[in-house]
Amino acid sequence: MKSIANLSPLSLAPLSPDLSRRNFLGVSGVFVLGACLPACTPTRPAPPVGTLEPNLFLALEPDGTVRVTAHRSEMGQGIRTALAQIVADELDADWARVKVDQAEGDTKYGDQNTDGSRSILLNYDRLRTAGAAARLMLRQAAAQHWGVPVEEVEAKNHQVVHASTGEQLGYGDLAGLAATLPVPESAPLKADAEHRYIGHGAKHVDTADIVRGKGTFGADFTLPNMATAVVVRCPWLGGGVRRIGNQPTDEPGLIGIEVLDPSPSAGPMFTPVGGAAVIAQDTYTAMRIAGQLEIEWTESENHAFDSAVLQGELRDALGQPGTPVPNSEKGDVDAVFESAQSTLEATYETPFLAHAPMEPPVAVADVTESGCIVHGPLQDPQSARGLIAGYLGVELDTVHVTPTLLGGAFGRKSKPDFALEAVELSKRLKRPVRVQWLREDDIRHDYFHAASAQYHRAAIDDQGKPTAWLQRTAFPSITTVFAAPAVMPADWELEMGFSNLPYQVENQRMESAGIRPGVRVGWMRSVCNIFHAFSANVFADEMAAAVGRDPIEHRLSMLAEGGKLAVPGMQPPAGHELDVGRLRHVIERVRELSDWQRPRPDGVGLGFAVHHSFRSYVATVLEASMANGKPQVSNAYVVLDCGTYINPDTCTAQMEGAVVFGLSLALQSTIDMREGAVVQSNFHDYLLLRMPDAPPTTVELVPPQGRLPAGVGEPGVPPVAPALVNALFAATGERYRSLPLQT
Amino acid sequence: MALQLNVNGQDVQVDATPDTPLLWALRDHLGLTGTKYGCGSGLCGACTVHVNGAPSRACQLPIESLVGQSISTIESLEESHPELLDVWVEGNVPQCGYCQSGQLMSAAALLSSNAAPTDADIDTAMAGNICRCGTYVRIRAAIHEAAAQRAKEA
Repeated sequence: MKSIANLSPLSLAPLSPDLSRRNFLGVSGVFVLGACLPACTPTRPAPPVGTLEPNLFLALEPDGTVRVTAHRSEMGQGIRTALAQIVADELDADWARVKVDQAEGDTKYGDQNTDGSRSILLNYDRLRTAGAAARLMLRQAAAQHWGVPVEEVEAKNHQVVHASTGEQLGYGDLAGLAATLPVPESAPLKADAEHRYIGHGAKHVDTADIVRGKGTFGADFTLPNMATAVVVRCPWLGGGVRRIGNQPTDEPGLIGIEVLDPSPSAGPMFTPVGGAAVIAQDTYTAMRIAGQLEIEWTESENHAFDSAVLQGELRDALGQPGTPVPNSEKGDVDAVFESAQSTLEATYETPFLAHAPMEPPVAVADVTESGCIVHGPLQDPQSARGLIAGYLGVELDTVHVTPTLLGGAFGRKSKPDFALEAVELSKRLKRPVRVQWLREDDIRHDYFHAASAQYHRAAIDDQGKPTAWLQRTAFPSITTVFAAPAVMPADWELEMGFSNLPYQVENQRMESAGIRPGVRVGWMRSVCNIFHAFSANVFADEMAAAVGRDPIEHRLSMLAEGGKLAVPGMQPPAGHELDVGRLRHVIERVRELSDWQRPRPDGVGLGFAVHHSFRSYVATVLEASMANGKPQVSNAYVVLDCGTYINPDTCTAQMEGAVVFGLSLALQSTIDMREGAVVQSNFHDYLLLRMPDAPPTTVELVPPQGRLPAGVGEPGVPPVAPALVNALFAATGERYRSLPLQT
Repeated sequence: MALQLNVNGQDVQVDATPDTPLLWALRDHLGLTGTKYGCGSGLCGACTVHVNGAPSRACQLPIESLVGQSISTIESLEESHPELLDVWVEGNVPQCGYCQSGQLMSAAALLSSNAAPTDADIDTAMAGNICRCGTYVRIRAAIHEAAAQRAKEA
């Protein structure tokens, strides 16, 4: 059967009465007779054949197949499955008959930027409505066909039934007739208790392909006559090729060598890094020749950049007053410090990190006179499309950008520099080109998670509660990637665990400082929450330790009993304010889940951390010890409150994965730059957690209770590193304040 | 010059230079894209295949060294280890899935040599396969489950 999935879906506007949809379908060759079910009255003619496509996200084909269009990118968070679960539930479709198509980047879908852990919260209502509208139309169509009031027909599991006569029709049989009806502006949504996919597990729609090696990731997409390029990039940002010392010419399989211009040395945005592209018939030939090139590079203002120097500058910045966070000052911190019986202070440091998704960046582009197509692992195909159109100077509608499966992303693949490389090379070579980043390219030319330092000082009472708290943070801001003069951390970076600390403190001051880095920085899974949650949670643990108090008791005592927290700068939409009661609840639940009070053997400690990010609440307890100078994590316990969730098993998996991701950065990972270049290059020196170090992980989800959906992919990460440091303190009495722990 | 390899039970001709790593011969010349590139240095396990049944990193094996050897890839696993694919799906093991071909090939090799692996056996056998998404605890559980199912059928 010819697929009709590519027909342009109708907008949410009501169908025009001329039924052009049906006419179009009539000439497109889609004629599949719906099966007449046993209860169908044989004397009545079958409903007209056609596809019901009431909105952008849903098409019901005459054979009963439901096609859901996923407009967000799949990188392991299960979004293609979750979006389909929402639509299918409100449609009351049979899950076995639901298929998922991937949307191109197109403004008609609204936001497609798959980062910030917001796919569900942005789309929950509209996808429910999309499914519910179609369900209502199917009921209306059946009622019309049977000549009965719509109130008398029910739609359930791919069947519309008239209870009193027992007549029933399959969804597919009704699609054509329903397509002639106007799309309702509103439709009744199910009560939460009626949901059978939302809030319930479903196997991911891509898993069956993935385990057979049939999932299509970026490098698996091919086009006829496609060449493969491997690019040797300048070690420092802003430099480019001065001279290639040894131009190979007669290598078999070599198609050509192209020089890519340097990116700006400041505010590089998503411009490709300058270098020499080796284009060949196959990947290995391109890799091999790229490895042999002797290139002299031009200098740039970054060619002497040294991350150790930057980290010293961050420490220095903490020794003096920074820029106050607007509206954050309470009471008189300095006066309290002067008169306080007991104060403590500490400085925390975290390094640059690389995202290192298992699939290095890769993209396929085909630029022709009529337009451009790009396929690749892109988190935001819509912004990539806009950038490509601007780069080529062509109309937006001639550019088609389609995400493949993303082999991990963690924020890296929001930045489409690698797609722009493929576009540029395809344009020059006038043929399809795949740009394949090597692992070394990925580690060395990332948009790095920023190095950081925090200084905390507190006056505490005899219960360890802070009576005054000064906190300073310093890090290179992500905004430096976008604008050359930018230096200071942005409000939204500070709102990631710094300016929105949830504790009750009468005297408080918050200050920040920024330093321009010599590399590209970017957002990585949970972003600034990583270092802000680390320093704040460890410092709070130090307060408890200073008075010998149980860390969880102590932490709860720092929180109000409940209520919504007013924090400077944050203007969360209604329903998403920081709810202290929910924060308390995850803390109390993780205390139970970890059996916190049960004594552990000598040398084994429990550590606790809690963090609110991406509108969710996560409390984590790790059980850890030191063995031969190496931290060992024996158990992890995580409680997540993300409000309404779609697929609980996916949420659990995301917490399990967050523990591994958090332990990698807590224990092993670091990126250093010397003379402008990244020191690390591959998994022998950029270390990631491996199976022997992955602890058994117990996850509990807080029941949704009708709350708004919130983030899941990122918020599990921030509490992991501080929980580990706190556990090691409990185990050994040693306090670690710099990451990673194994250096 | 074409070399003859035996891949998934079939003799195939590969028209590539003899030093071409098996990974790229599979992907670029034979269209078997289930085997993934992750590091090119034998560090991550994403390209794990079986050579004469032993788990091997395809990025490190020049095809000239493989003439006359029996090579199996992820594409053959449905026939040789269907229960492993089932438990992987049933346990929702993959997240992004990119490393999972390699994980499955390492797991299949482990189960072929050890019908009832302990956690320690699994950790040792799987330590060469990195999963950045962090699916390790589910992989461990799935291997135990596959072993249990096999034991029940035996």
